[in-house]
Amino acid sequence: MEIKYRLISADSHAAFRNDDFTSRMSVSKWGDKIPHIASRERDGKTSDGWAIYEKPPSGQVCNCPALMGEPFPHWPDRWEEVPVMAYDPAQRLKALDIDGVDAEVLFPNPPGGSYTSYGDPDFELDTVRAYNDALSDWVRVSDRYWPLAALPWLQPADVIAREVERAAEGGHRGVNVNGQMPKGLPHLGDRVWDPVWAVCQEMGLPIHFHGSAGLGAAHSIKNWDGYSERQAHSASTSTSAVTPAQIIPQLIFSGITERFPELKVVFAEAGIGGLNYVISACDHAWESRHLWTEGMTTRPSDTVRRQMFVNFWFETEGIKLRHDIGIDNLMWESDLPHVASYYPKSRAEAERVLEGVSQEDKEKLMYLNALRIYGVTPSAVA
Amino acid sequence: MAITRFISVDDHVQETPDLWTSRLSKEKWGDRIPHIERANGADTWVVDGRVLLGGYTARSAAFMADRCAEPHRWDDVPTAAYVPAHRLGAMDAAGIQYSVLFPSVAGFAGEAFGQLSDNGLELACVQAYNDWLIDEWAAVSPRFIPQCIVPIGPVEATVAEIRRAVAKGHRGVVFPSVPHDLRDVPHVADAYYDPVWSVCEELGVPLCLHAGGSPKLQNAMPPGMSAGREAALEEVQRPVSSVYVLNLFLFSRILMRHPRMQIVMAESALSWGMLDLEWADHQADHDGLAREGYDLTPLQLFKRQCYLNSWFDEVAPFSSYLGAERILWSSNLPQATSSWPRTQETIERCLRGVTDEVREQVLWKNAASLYGIPA
Repeated sequence: MEIKYRLISADSHAAFRNDDFTSRMSVSKWGDKIPHIASRERDGKTSDGWAIYEKPPSGQVCNCPALMGEPFPHWPDRWEEVPVMAYDPAQRLKALDIDGVDAEVLFPNPPGGSYTSYGDPDFELDTVRAYNDALSDWVRVSDRYWPLAALPWLQPADVIAREVERAAEGGHRGVNVNGQMPKGLPHLGDRVWDPVWAVCQEMGLPIHFHGSAGLGAAHSIKNWDGYSERQAHSASTSTSAVTPAQIIPQLIFSGITERFPELKVVFAEAGIGGLNYVISACDHAWESRHLWTEGMTTRPSDTVRRQMFVNFWFETEGIKLRHDIGIDNLMWESDLPHVASYYPKSRAEAERVLEGVSQEDKEKLMYLNALRIYGVTPSAVA
Repeated sequence: MAITRFISVDDHVQETPDLWTSRLSKEKWGDRIPHIERANGADTWVVDGRVLLGGYTARSAAFMADRCAEPHRWDDVPTAAYVPAHRLGAMDAAGIQYSVLFPSVAGFAGEAFGQLSDNGLELACVQAYNDWLIDEWAAVSPRFIPQCIVPIGPVEATVAEIRRAVAKGHRGVVFPSVPHDLRDVPHVADAYYDPVWSVCEELGVPLCLHAGGSPKLQNAMPPGMSAGREAALEEVQRPVSSVYVLNLFLFSRILMRHPRMQIVMAESALSWGMLDLEWADHQADHDGLAREGYDLTPLQLFKRQCYLNSWFDEVAPFSSYLGAERILWSSNLPQATSSWPRTQETIERCLRGVTDEVREQVLWKNAASLYGIPA
């Protein structure tokens, strides 16, 4: 690919076409269980949502307020209202050009990238494959799309590892992982998953934790009925700041980073400022407990700089700490087409957040680090 | 090395085996009283059939010859953990003038007795601790700043115990931050607790929300780890779990309704705070909370009523954004994570690059004004 704008989004969300799953999964095998769009009555009006595994439709038909225009933010109720730029890869290139973005890493959008909760390993595998194949078709349209594979966690680790390989052949550039494994499955830090990390390390595919992979959704503090919808959103969103601080120490102290020292781990939509805590707290614990006597020969902060990468978009304070964290460990993100996105003014906002940052640092933060971390060599840089 | 005054706002006493057995009625409570049981050569704290302190005898690794090892028998617990006169010696050795006290057996965040289903037993255990801390620690030296623990309900009992304890000399209130995770009581943001916040305002005592009040705010432990690694991971996960508690107090309107209440996020650390608050302001702005009656932004509320507390973080990167007047320092005695005995060295490293004024605020001035400690 050619670098024209010198800006790469390390966190965007690919939307799905209404037939992305029905056209790829066996109707005779799965029938109405296949993810498809259906309508329901809600709050006195008819709206569409995705129906999966014969459950009633739930959630949004598409999470794309950044592409919906004024009044911002609003979400589509019906499939017909979803902007084509959200789900059609050829059309979406126009959005990238308007926003001045060369390439984007693709995280999920409804119907999401996790089908574990239905408890049906066969269904999960077929749906995950349809998801991954749909995004491989985006790559056929343009190498400016860098999708992340969904994985079938109900399958044995070697089957998961084979899906990683299959997805990578289809152009996927990393995989998406849960912060907490779904109930009933072994812990994220269990060695049973080692074959998955092994294949990701071997193929140079970073594993990814989205900000929403933190404990934020699970704990009881959140479940207070005294908040309005907006207040609840504000109160919980910024706690994603600690997602890396919850997960990185687990990866380090459980030994995953020692067993897989070349495995790259990316945290999207969690901000960068939380990494200061990871570095200082993990080093402090390592020093005060003399953990080198237990075989942990690498200082945790060195492990962080070797293997951990975080994304930013709005933090002017966080950016001031870029050298404490590691200038090579940070990437810009747009979050297109979600509410946090600055589309179509991404470039101006990136310049604002990076005001006063040297040109050399800026280039790393805006696109060079992303090229390196995802192993992409551009054909030309304009 | 420049020695300045230092008030440590987060240290833990080790409760003694006779604390509750000598103060609670054996006739009334029998063996439900908190006591030590010996099994397989190890001493374990038990209340009403529940194991306390995670099965440990004491958490005093900072005083052990090998600080990766906790004592398993009461006889092996270092006396500086539980003998106040010996603790003063340890404080002298590390340049700690004053020490603000939190429990250990009663829960690092004062949460242990909130899990009891019997309100009467909960109150008896709480009152015995509060009496003991005044009689056995505060009476020994004014350098110990005692803080009471509370029964989490009913709210009338919480308020009455705060009044009783403060009248006896307690200077702060240790409140478990997520009482509704302990037993079936209303959500902490519910107006039900307003009398608790009001009495703290009225009496001018800080509300101390120590990290670790609810295990549900921390990720589950990976399997197959060594004890040292597991303890290290727990120590890293615990402080940052305070983010949920801080955001709750900032957004739930508790602080707006009680503008004079001061909350101390004890053992929170600093370095996650700046991003959380920058993000909270960014999000509150995007979500239009000013139109829903929020007159102050989360950062403004924080600067009016909240404190973060660290013992290992660098201060310089965060002090201007958070406000140096909102940062408190501690030694975290006698836990493994404590900076003791190299407390002064740690302070030098962490306060590198700050002005003398910021240094004095963080090390003692903020705490002195919060706890009414004379200069």
